Amino acid sequence: MEFFLQQLFNGLAVGGIYALVALGYTMVYGVMKLMNFAHGELFTMGAFLGLTLLGTFAFTEVLGPFGGVFVLILMVMGMVAIMGVLLERVAYRPLRNSPRLSAIVSALGASIFLQNAIMLMYGARFQVYPHGILPNTPISVFGVDIPLLRILLFVVSILMMAALYFFVQRTRIGTAIRAAAIDQDAARLMGINVDRVIQIVFIIGPALGAAAGVMVGIYYGQINFTMGWIFGLKAFTAAIIGGIGNIPGAMLGGLLLGVLEAMGAAYISTAWKDAIAFAVLILILLVRPRGILGERVADKL
Amino acid sequence: MKKVLCLAAALCFMAAPAFAETIRIGLMAPMTGSWASEGQDMRDIVTLMAEELNAKGGVLDKKVEIVVEDDAGDPRAAALAAQRLSTRKVAAVIGTYGSSVAEAAQNIYDDYDIIQVANGATSNRLTEKGLNFFFRTCPRNDEQAMVAAKALQSMGFSKIAILHDNTSYARGLADDARKFIGEVSDAKVVFFNALTPGERDFNTVLTRMRASDPDVILFTGYYPEAGLLLRQKMEMGWDVPMMGGDATNNPDLVEIAGTQAASGFYFLSPPVPQDLPTDEARAFLAAFEKKYSKLPGSIWAVLAGDAFTAIVTAIEGAGSTDSKKVAEYMRTRLKDMPALTGTISFNSVGDRIGDVYRVYQVNAEGAFVLMNP
Repeated sequence: MEFFLQQLFNGLAVGGIYALVALGYTMVYGVMKLMNFAHGELFTMGAFLGLTLLGTFAFTEVLGPFGGVFVLILMVMGMVAIMGVLLERVAYRPLRNSPRLSAIVSALGASIFLQNAIMLMYGARFQVYPHGILPNTPISVFGVDIPLLRILLFVVSILMMAALYFFVQRTRIGTAIRAAAIDQDAARLMGINVDRVIQIVFIIGPALGAAAGVMVGIYYGQINFTMGWIFGLKAFTAAIIGGIGNIPGAMLGGLLLGVLEAMGAAYISTAWKDAIAFAVLILILLVRPRGILGERVADKL
Repeated sequence: MKKVLCLAAALCFMAAPAFAETIRIGLMAPMTGSWASEGQDMRDIVTLMAEELNAKGGVLDKKVEIVVEDDAGDPRAAALAAQRLSTRKVAAVIGTYGSSVAEAAQNIYDDYDIIQVANGATSNRLTEKGLNFFFRTCPRNDEQAMVAAKALQSMGFSKIAILHDNTSYARGLADDARKFIGEVSDAKVVFFNALTPGERDFNTVLTRMRASDPDVILFTGYYPEAGLLLRQKMEMGWDVPMMGGDATNNPDLVEIAGTQAASGFYFLSPPVPQDLPTDEARAFLAAFEKKYSKLPGSIWAVLAGDAFTAIVTAIEGAGSTDSKKVAEYMRTRLKDMPALTGTISFNSVGDRIGDVYRVYQVNAEGAFVLMNP
């Protein structure tokens, strides 16, 4: 039982990160029907910017560990949101009325460009976050010792997702986003500025990805310029499992993927962990081609 | 149009003699990807050695030119890199780090009759295929596995967990170690499985390994994952000792794990650069430090330098760049050639003869300390 709980918590902690990154994919897809493959690189950019800022300003010394990290994450979110807006302006807006394939190729190109840009700016070596930014004493939950940082990571991911959900469901801008996701032309006729909606989507998605990047940096310590690929792939999978375009779906998909991987590793084989997770993905797609919560893709966003 | 063609032709003629005076040596290395720090050191070392050689007049009265191709530490990229190098008239190729990467390029070089001298590809089967033009300056996995088995036995561990990462290097080393552990001692392997390289979170693997209650973990994969394993192992409050294979020999390991988590970690390796035995090696490392203001990170990049020396010596000795003659010379007449990591001879299949693995331990300051040599 203890082993099961331990693995469940392991899976949930990783799943929280997958979910946070998956939100960026799913929001862009919901509104634009475009897979933003550069999203993984924005996540990486968040991790690197966080490290740079941490080295430049002594956040934690001035504001204490939690306040410092909070301000750090906010600043990185802001910076990466600007990059997201630029990315949309340069790589996607000119192609908005082109065939969908052009936009996908442009997304892949942007991904490769950003990855190489990060490598040229920061070098190809691993970069390491300083140890002990946040206290990390183990806490006992149901008889299992879990490092405090893992719990924090999970709680912060859930809080961010909940905030996003309420923003999309309860605010005027959120309503506009949902309307644009259903039908851009009709939304335009109703007086919604669709360009601005898309811009907002490209602020929120990258900002959440960037927050995940900083959290990965702080928790795992090690970051490098290729990290966006593997997290991007997992998040993409999570978005599909949950039903692409669906915000609660991305959350559920992320957590589910994390737990599936952990359970596959725990009870079958650690080497087959990914294969098991992807086999489940195929199974879910066979049974529910639109993903678990993806009944009516656009309406739910 | 005609004028352009004439000009182009003229340029070609002018360029042609310049080409005839250089001998091109390829370097296939991971300039990007997870192992980029290894590849960049390889390039720096080989470039410096070529400069030093050219300053002394080159080989066969020709200058040596290094042609670098990036294999990104990825078998698919390596096959492409090998194809590009093969069409660029290189006399021989140095590289690469990583067995599965070297393996993807092996047959391509062999098809083009190009000598390949690998520097960090230690998987046994690379030389067991009987290719004519494959050599390596690094030792083999089975030698390493035997040292691991004996070291674990002499340290008195009886329940051993073996973890690899499914690359041909790590899988091969793990299999050999499992075999030898049974032969040299009555220790039991209580866990044998793999992780996925490139990931960040290994808590699931660690949790499962912990359930099998080993005395020691033998991890045969690479340093980025080893660093994370050490760190996450400490965070879950599990203080079992861990030993790594030679691919964990990189200072970045300590960076990633943090000094506290890395301290006490054992690893197997040929001597690290600072422990190189000869005066020539010390002089070269000093020149390297002067030029690049850093020292090479690991022994694998230094072994690329030895591959360069072996190729140049063999070309000089054979008096030709014809790959059949050069390969023949390397296999039969190149004996006890002085190199940075000691003397080098190759056996009939292209393996380096007689290098010895040592056991190192990371001390409390994060430095690599040689244990009872």
